[in-house]
Amino acid sequence: MRRFSGRFRSSLIIGLQGIRARKLRTLLSMVSLFLGVSAVVVVEAGASIAERALIADLELTDGIDGTRILDMPPNDKAADIIVSTVKGRTDAVGALSVSGIVGEPGVRPVNEGGSPIDQNWGGGAMICSSDGRCVEDTSRPKGEAIEVRLTALTGDIRVFRPFTQVSGRWLDFATMPSMAPHLVLNREAAKGFERHHVPAEMRVAGATANLTPQFVGVVDDGDVRPSAYVRLDELANWLPASGLGNPNGGAEVRVMLAPSSPVEQVLTTKLRGAGVETYVSTIESRKHRQKELTLMRLIFFSMAGLVLLIGVAGILNVGLATVGERIEEFALRRAVGTPRMLLAGIVLAETLLTGLLTAAAAIGVCIAGLKVVTMVVGDSQPLLHNVQFPWEAGVAGIIAGLVAGILGGFVPALRAAGIPIATVMRA
Amino acid sequence: MSDPLIRLTGITKVLKGQQEPRTILDGVDLSVDAGESVAIVGRSGSGKSTLLSVIGLFDRADTGTYELDGVDISRVPERRAAKLRSSHFGFVFQRFFLLKHLTAAQNVAMALVNGQGWLPRRERRARVMEALDLVGIAHLAKNRPARMSGGEQQRVAIARALVRRPRVLLADEPTGALDTETGALVIDALLAATTRGCGLILVTHDRDHAARMGRILDLDAGVLTERVPA
Repeated sequence: MRRFSGRFRSSLIIGLQGIRARKLRTLLSMVSLFLGVSAVVVVEAGASIAERALIADLELTDGIDGTRILDMPPNDKAADIIVSTVKGRTDAVGALSVSGIVGEPGVRPVNEGGSPIDQNWGGGAMICSSDGRCVEDTSRPKGEAIEVRLTALTGDIRVFRPFTQVSGRWLDFATMPSMAPHLVLNREAAKGFERHHVPAEMRVAGATANLTPQFVGVVDDGDVRPSAYVRLDELANWLPASGLGNPNGGAEVRVMLAPSSPVEQVLTTKLRGAGVETYVSTIESRKHRQKELTLMRLIFFSMAGLVLLIGVAGILNVGLATVGERIEEFALRRAVGTPRMLLAGIVLAETLLTGLLTAAAAIGVCIAGLKVVTMVVGDSQPLLHNVQFPWEAGVAGIIAGLVAGILGGFVPALRAAGIPIATVMRA
Repeated sequence: MSDPLIRLTGITKVLKGQQEPRTILDGVDLSVDAGESVAIVGRSGSGKSTLLSVIGLFDRADTGTYELDGVDISRVPERRAAKLRSSHFGFVFQRFFLLKHLTAAQNVAMALVNGQGWLPRRERRARVMEALDLVGIAHLAKNRPARMSGGEQQRVAIARALVRRPRVLLADEPTGALDTETGALVIDALLAATTRGCGLILVTHDRDHAARMGRILDLDAGVLTERVPA
């Protein structure tokens, strides 16, 4: 160990002396390697950021990986069972969705069927004759109203779907339920209400009366359709369970559960007992996307690898030229007792140090570059908003620098080790 | 009686190139004691440097035995040879082979930073200064070779050879690139080492320098003969 330590220190000292003696040459070999390492760092950083963004997007719309999903057809019994079983729990949240129209009374919404505000997906109210022909219901005029997907929650769903708060606040489940239901809109619904400033009333099929909603916040839920979230108990003041589970009202019933929640078995048993069929699944977004993520990484890494190879060739070229210039020095070092292995170690230490210095410089530049880019365009590009330099990219850069140093220094190291001592006698 | 420091017996070396094999050393016998100084003289191409290469373990003899301190080292592997070069030999060449980017002290320290054991920085510095002091140029420790005369550079090279406290100094034409006066100073420095028990083998063309050694050996066509003092 002591001998190894001495050799290691010797190669480091001599390697550093070599770098200091040939600053310009070292700098030139760093330039080509810099591009290669930067390419690796940028690709890794880009892939990591894109992957995180993609996963975050999937978590927003589908849910966090591992979340258990219990789906069932709308059923008035189901709504009651869900509410009684999961209410007040944090490891299970019931989400019962119905369609609601918020805005001017007595008018058709601008986005019939709950389409995104600037699109028309169809789905408006139809009037069908006895012979089966249906026409659009134009008995009421279109007016200042928005149709939203209204999701009534038994608890805080953000445990399973990490919504981003855009403005205002989230629903408070700890207070007494209000008779004027608090609504949290998604971005698309908020966009609609920015254009149509008349959230006078909320109409929900099956409600005992039209409701007066209170908007308390806006979240990003990843949904392109206008949606609103409400406490189930506040909605239930006006809409009985039969309305929440009404299959004709376009209702959707879902329960999100933590992976090991004991509620799952209780709930499924109760629902089956009531004759409600359930479909259980687990969210595995990362697994499903893994193939395409891996392929994307492979393609980008192949490109970065090619650029890195050019850097390696640069180091190799400079390394060979340097060894050629230092034949007498290496022969002399062997004459004073330096073993061949240490000579190889000296050359490798120089190229490794060069590789590490280059990697450090490339990582530093990339971190600074990312900061500048996020500062300049971060607000307009959600992908780059508040993005941090991924540590994986730093590790990839260091590895790339080390690999380039080893590959670029290997052949020159072998050459240095093979220089005959007699060179100094013949000089 | 104790073994001589170096004993060569029947050493032969044949160069096998594309042309006919050429005998460079032909049954050389040589014995050198500690503190003894020996000059090897001969015409160019007579095999002087080859003999020095064999003694300094740069090269191997084809036949014959080589004993160092009574131990046969004729067939030692390269790793052991490197260790022996570090522990037993100091080398001085006609060209000084100083690294121009290092100071005189760093050039001398080069022989200590060779992977054969590790000395702490303070001890390394003390040994370097001691070696430079022995050759009388301690005041030039921080100078780079470009700022030193030929004689000073050669003395740095001698300090480099002495810094590991070798048993034998091997000098191959150390005054070849120096004027007479400076050459004499260099020989003084080499001879001073013998007073501390270090053997000296000097290869030279200069008869005056050879005459200052304890023994003079003639190498002619690979055959080594001792010159009888007049």
